[in-house]
Amino acid sequence: MVEIILDLAFVLIFLAIVSGIIRLVIGPATVDRVVAVDLLTIIAIAVIALLAHIADRYIYLDVALVYGLLSFLGVLAVARYLEKGF
Amino acid sequence: MIVLLTILLCAGILISGLLAVQLDNIVSAVISSGLASLFASVVYVVLAAPDVAMTEASIGSGLSTMIFLYAIRKTKDGD
Repeated sequence: MVEIILDLAFVLIFLAIVSGIIRLVIGPATVDRVVAVDLLTIIAIAVIALLAHIADRYIYLDVALVYGLLSFLGVLAVARYLEKGF
Repeated sequence: MIVLLTILLCAGILISGLLAVQLDNIVSAVISSGLASLFASVVYVVLAAPDVAMTEASIGSGLSTMIFLYAIRKTKDGD
Protein backbone atom coordinates (compact mmCIF):
# COMPACT_ATOMS: atom_id res chain seq x y z
CA MET A 1 0.00 0.00 0.00
CA VAL A 2 2.81 2.36 0.90
CA GLU A 3 4.58 1.58 -2.36
CA ILE A 4 1.47 2.46 -4.36
CA ILE A 5 1.14 5.79 -2.55
CA LEU A 6 4.82 6.62 -3.11
CA ASP A 7 4.57 5.78 -6.81
CA LEU A 8 1.45 7.92 -7.08
CA ALA A 9 3.31 10.78 -5.39
CA PHE A 10 6.17 10.42 -7.86
CA VAL A 11 3.80 10.50 -10.84
CA LEU A 12 2.04 13.60 -9.52
CA ILE A 13 5.39 15.31 -8.93
CA PHE A 14 6.48 14.45 -12.50
CA LEU A 15 3.32 16.01 -13.90
CA ALA A 16 3.73 19.10 -11.71
CA ILE A 17 7.36 19.62 -12.77
CA VAL A 18 6.48 19.23 -16.46
CA SER A 19 3.58 21.68 -16.23
CA GLY A 20 5.74 24.21 -14.38
CA ILE A 21 8.49 23.96 -17.01
CA ILE A 22 5.92 24.38 -19.80
CA ARG A 23 4.61 27.56 -18.17
CA LEU A 24 8.19 28.77 -17.73
CA VAL A 25 9.00 28.22 -21.41
CA ILE A 26 5.85 29.61 -23.04
CA GLY A 27 5.02 32.28 -20.45
CA PRO A 28 4.87 35.54 -22.38
CA ALA A 29 5.23 37.96 -19.46
CA THR A 30 7.79 38.08 -16.66
CA VAL A 31 5.07 37.61 -14.05
CA ASP A 32 4.17 34.21 -15.54
CA ARG A 33 7.75 33.08 -15.13
CA VAL A 34 7.88 34.35 -11.54
CA VAL A 35 4.77 32.32 -10.71
CA ALA A 36 6.26 29.28 -12.47
CA VAL A 37 9.44 29.59 -10.39
CA ASP A 38 7.37 29.85 -7.21
CA LEU A 39 5.45 26.71 -8.22
CA LEU A 40 8.66 24.82 -8.97
CA THR A 41 10.12 25.87 -5.61
CA ILE A 42 7.14 24.42 -3.75
CA ILE A 43 7.44 21.23 -5.85
CA ALA A 44 11.14 21.08 -4.94
CA ILE A 45 10.24 21.23 -1.24
CA ALA A 46 7.85 18.31 -1.80
CA VAL A 47 10.59 16.38 -3.65
CA ILE A 48 13.05 16.91 -0.80
CA ALA A 49 10.49 15.73 1.78
CA LEU A 50 9.77 12.64 -0.35
CA LEU A 51 13.50 11.89 -0.67
CA ALA A 52 13.88 12.25 3.10
CA HIS A 53 11.23 9.58 3.54
CA ILE A 54 12.67 7.26 0.89
CA ALA A 55 16.32 7.54 1.97
CA ASP A 56 15.21 7.37 5.64
CA ARG A 57 17.37 10.36 6.54
CA TYR A 58 15.32 12.99 8.28
CA ILE A 59 18.19 15.49 8.26
CA TYR A 60 17.03 16.29 4.72
CA LEU A 61 13.96 17.99 6.15
CA ASP A 62 16.23 20.81 7.39
CA VAL A 63 17.16 21.48 3.78
CA ALA A 64 13.47 21.74 2.91
CA LEU A 65 12.96 24.18 5.79
CA VAL A 66 15.81 26.49 4.72
CA TYR A 67 14.58 26.19 1.20
CA GLY A 68 11.08 27.35 2.00
CA LEU A 69 12.27 30.41 3.92
CA LEU A 70 14.80 31.53 1.30
CA SER A 71 12.64 30.94 -1.75
CA PHE A 72 9.88 32.99 -0.16
CA LEU A 73 12.36 35.84 0.29
CA GLY A 74 13.55 35.48 -3.30
CA VAL A 75 10.06 35.65 -4.80
CA LEU A 76 9.29 38.59 -2.51
CA ALA A 77 12.39 40.44 -3.77
CA VAL A 78 11.43 39.84 -7.40
CA ALA A 79 7.87 41.02 -6.76
CA ARG A 80 9.12 44.16 -5.06
CA TYR A 81 11.46 44.83 -7.99
CA LEU A 82 8.65 44.39 -10.52
CA GLU A 83 6.30 46.65 -8.59
CA LYS A 84 8.47 49.65 -7.83
CA GLY A 85 12.10 48.62 -8.11
CA PHE A 86 13.95 48.25 -4.80
CA MET B 1 11.70 6.18 -9.94
CA ILE B 2 14.57 8.19 -8.46
CA VAL B 3 16.50 7.75 -11.72
CA LEU B 4 13.58 9.18 -13.71
CA LEU B 5 13.29 12.06 -11.24
CA THR B 6 17.00 12.83 -11.59
CA ILE B 7 16.73 12.78 -15.39
CA LEU B 8 13.79 15.19 -15.24
CA LEU B 9 15.65 17.52 -12.86
CA CYS B 10 18.74 17.55 -15.08
CA ALA B 11 16.53 18.32 -18.09
CA GLY B 12 15.12 21.19 -16.03
CA ILE B 13 18.66 22.51 -15.41
CA LEU B 14 19.32 22.33 -19.16
CA ILE B 15 16.06 24.05 -20.15
CA SER B 16 16.40 26.87 -17.61
CA GLY B 17 20.03 27.43 -18.60
CA LEU B 18 19.04 27.70 -22.26
CA LEU B 19 16.24 30.10 -21.33
CA ALA B 20 18.65 32.22 -19.29
CA VAL B 21 20.80 32.59 -22.39
CA GLN B 22 18.03 33.02 -24.95
CA LEU B 23 15.45 35.28 -23.30
CA ASP B 24 15.35 38.94 -24.26
CA ASN B 25 13.81 40.30 -21.08
CA ILE B 26 16.66 40.58 -18.60
CA VAL B 27 14.57 40.02 -15.46
CA SER B 28 13.22 36.78 -16.94
CA ALA B 29 16.78 35.68 -17.68
CA VAL B 30 17.82 36.33 -14.06
CA ILE B 31 14.82 34.34 -12.79
CA SER B 32 15.68 31.46 -15.11
CA SER B 33 19.27 31.36 -13.91
CA GLY B 34 18.01 31.22 -10.33
CA LEU B 35 15.79 28.31 -11.31
CA ALA B 36 18.81 26.43 -12.69
CA SER B 37 20.47 26.55 -9.29
CA LEU B 38 17.17 25.51 -7.65
CA PHE B 39 17.11 22.31 -9.70
CA ALA B 40 20.83 21.78 -9.05
CA SER B 41 20.26 21.92 -5.31
CA VAL B 42 17.55 19.24 -5.52
CA VAL B 43 19.98 17.09 -7.50
CA TYR B 44 22.52 17.59 -4.70
CA VAL B 45 19.97 16.22 -2.24
CA VAL B 46 19.51 13.18 -4.51
CA LEU B 47 23.29 12.74 -4.46
CA ALA B 48 23.17 12.65 -0.61
CA ALA B 49 24.88 16.00 0.02
CA PRO B 50 22.43 18.05 2.08
CA ASP B 51 24.98 20.65 3.22
CA VAL B 52 25.96 21.45 -0.35
CA ALA B 53 22.28 21.64 -1.24
CA MET B 54 21.61 24.08 1.60
CA THR B 55 24.49 26.34 0.53
CA GLU B 56 23.43 26.20 -3.12
CA ALA B 57 19.84 27.07 -2.21
CA SER B 58 20.79 30.02 -0.03
CA ILE B 59 23.52 31.54 -2.19
CA GLY B 60 22.75 30.41 -5.73
CA SER B 61 19.00 30.70 -5.72
CA GLY B 62 18.40 33.40 -3.11
CA LEU B 63 21.32 35.79 -2.77
CA SER B 64 22.59 35.90 -6.35
CA THR B 65 19.09 36.62 -7.74
CA MET B 66 18.71 39.54 -5.33
CA ILE B 67 22.17 40.89 -6.15
CA PHE B 68 21.48 40.61 -9.89
CA LEU B 69 18.20 42.51 -9.51
CA TYR B 70 19.92 45.17 -7.39
CA ALA B 71 22.63 45.56 -10.04
CA ILE B 72 20.05 45.79 -12.83
CA ARG B 73 18.25 48.48 -10.86
CA LYS B 74 21.48 50.38 -10.30
CA THR B 75 22.60 50.26 -13.92
CA LYS B 76 19.23 50.71 -15.63
CA ASP B 77 19.85 54.34 -16.58
CA GLY B 78 23.39 53.77 -17.81
CA ASP B 79 22.94 51.09 -20.44
